Amino acid sequence: MPLHRRALLTGAVSAAAAGLLAGCGGKDLDDLLAQASAVPRKPARLTWWVSEIPSRRGGVVADLIIRAFERRHPLITVSKINALSTSDGNRSALTTQLAGGSAQPDVYLGDTTWPAQFGHSSLALPVEKLLPGDFWDAYPPALRDSSTYRGKVYAVPFFTDSSYLFYRKDLLAKHGLRVPRSWEELQHTSRTVQRTGDVEAGFLWQAAVTESLTANVTEFLADAGAAVLDGQGRAALGGAAAERAFSLMAGFTAHGITPRTVATYEESDSQDAFVNGRGLFLRNWSYAWVNANTQGVSRVAGKIGAVPRPGFEGTGRSGVSCAGGWSNFVNPSSRELGAAVEFARFCAGDEVQRLLAREAGVIPAATSALSGPQARAAKDPTVLRAADLRLVARPVTPYYPQVSKALYTPANEVVRGALSPAAGVRAAGKGLRTALEGRAL
Amino acid sequence: MSSVPMKAAMTPSKGEKNGGSPAAPRQASAGAPVSSTARRRARTGWLFASPALLVIAAVTIFPVLFSLVLSFCEVRLEYGGLRLGSPTVAHYGTLLTHSEWYRALAFTLGFTVVSVFAELVLGTLVALVLERLGAARGWILALLLLPWALINVVAAQLWAYLFNGTYGAVGWLCEQLFGTQPDILGQPAPAMAALVAVDVWKTTPFVAIVVLAGLMLIPGDVYEAAEIDGANAWTTFWKVTLPQLRPIVAIAVLFRILQAFGIFDLPFVLTQGGPGTATQSVAILGYRILFQNLDFGGGAAVAVTTAVIVMGCCLLFLRVFRAHVDEGGRA
Repeated sequence: MPLHRRALLTGAVSAAAAGLLAGCGGKDLDDLLAQASAVPRKPARLTWWVSEIPSRRGGVVADLIIRAFERRHPLITVSKINALSTSDGNRSALTTQLAGGSAQPDVYLGDTTWPAQFGHSSLALPVEKLLPGDFWDAYPPALRDSSTYRGKVYAVPFFTDSSYLFYRKDLLAKHGLRVPRSWEELQHTSRTVQRTGDVEAGFLWQAAVTESLTANVTEFLADAGAAVLDGQGRAALGGAAAERAFSLMAGFTAHGITPRTVATYEESDSQDAFVNGRGLFLRNWSYAWVNANTQGVSRVAGKIGAVPRPGFEGTGRSGVSCAGGWSNFVNPSSRELGAAVEFARFCAGDEVQRLLAREAGVIPAATSALSGPQARAAKDPTVLRAADLRLVARPVTPYYPQVSKALYTPANEVVRGALSPAAGVRAAGKGLRTALEGRAL
Repeated sequence: MSSVPMKAAMTPSKGEKNGGSPAAPRQASAGAPVSSTARRRARTGWLFASPALLVIAAVTIFPVLFSLVLSFCEVRLEYGGLRLGSPTVAHYGTLLTHSEWYRALAFTLGFTVVSVFAELVLGTLVALVLERLGAARGWILALLLLPWALINVVAAQLWAYLFNGTYGAVGWLCEQLFGTQPDILGQPAPAMAALVAVDVWKTTPFVAIVVLAGLMLIPGDVYEAAEIDGANAWTTFWKVTLPQLRPIVAIAVLFRILQAFGIFDLPFVLTQGGPGTATQSVAILGYRILFQNLDFGGGAAVAVTTAVIVMGCCLLFLRVFRAHVDEGGRA
């Protein structure tokens, strides 16, 4: 009997339908939490999705943490899955796996902007019932807020990232200039040094159409005292303060203080330019300190300093930093929920937080670790000054990627001079409203 | 690449419509009674083909159908994985009412038309030159093929370094020649041009190889006949070479349309779809909707609409090109 096309097609469709029904499961959350509340008494294997953590002393930080955990829990073995380097790249790779219901990774490191989206999409286990009542007393309030969505906690603290103004100590000293205390002064200082030909760029930052720019926009808006959301979480972007922030971004490129190519810069691009001695100032996350101050990696090692970001003149506000960082999330499809939650809690605990202060070029999430002997020994200004910062959280919403895009797309056009600051603020405000309602692409 | 599958794809013969298998001998398509030997042969044919068919079903047909189903369903993520809800056309409604989708489509179409046209012209020129070369052809061919052999992402990253505004060689060269450093990837028009240039650099060798194969197939006696008729080189090219090349060019262009329309890696590495959304192709838009926004239905809708539009473009091209492969290039 010859096969017909139709028969083939029918077969394929039914195979597809069968495939759709398999592997789609609704699991009960109470069952999951019950499993997660007990640390296993029999051997268990965990996988941890972790990106490379900047190292102060050459040790592999993730391995040190795993060894410390296995010493405390001899029955549990943890293996690493090396994650990607960018936040967006990690999200894509993880969501594909998690949405398919994969049991791996059991624990994954994720950006502090993810909890609302991941919680909303059931890609992370709500852990508030598995944490002690006074758990959050040890961490910055901004971190608690960004980890919580609708009263549930989806992320366990690990380390935070804050942004700083890095500067060339040697060049400022050579020209008898002080570290600028306002954006206006920074522009003036930049032009002065640029005119001498000692440096090409005055101020390096990130304005590519990615999350990097959203973080910068969030900070400039906070500098100017402009709100992104109102108290009820509705879009509230607009007005003179927001325009002041957007005008500053446009001014950097218009006056040649920032190279026009900043519109394609992510963190690594701006850092590359700075460590190669092409810029006087750099806005970057705290980890840039280790990278820019290591002999052999950086041409400006030993010639740099870091201070909290300046603010606008006459506002009295400075030291604003976007609350960034990485936390541990637990995969609800993990077969070792108890061990996974225990591992996430362990990473947030004293032992690992002190280890981070000693070994890693990041800011420990626990406030106590910032002033401990390990932190003082590292002599890293980004750790020592972390307590002085005004942390600003990015909007907490399940539509965060759309919200981010609504901010970075017009901001990028303002930086390039394709949109006026006023038009940029209008476009961002409109895009933000659409995104928060979940109607944006 | 033989012309049989092409023919089968473009003009399904009557026999196939009646449920005859392509493996059946010719008389089957004429509607004549099929002999038992032929039937047995056909069955053996299917038997041999079945492992391959199963693999194709698993890795191609199933995902395509799955996307189709996703795009017409409410999709929810729950503990344990995906959950399909009630049928809906809302995902398509959302796409069709967003200017961003139209912009992505316009960029992708423009990119496809410009890059494929440029590759075709350049590739044909290169092939004509190569055909004239004797002994050195092998070496030059190997050199020419290098860009095409490079993995796309690697090539894109290579050009990203060259175009880099801070230390890129292209900017430095412009500064030496014209005194100003252009901001290539930071402005819409130059960024689009750069993407087209990289794609042309990368894929012209492929077109050249295919066209060269076509040139080799043209029998020498038609050229002799043209010479006897007193045709000059120009006339010979337009009246003899090109018509003979038609089927092979059609294949090359179809391949390129399919690839160019799905362009993802070049803009993803070079511009992330920026500046603004100037170089956001439909593939990048679909990726963002699916993997960044976690909107599985919406992402699938982008994929399905893209597939439909690509098919439309291919059919339109064939109609315009009148490429009836089976008629040896005559319209």
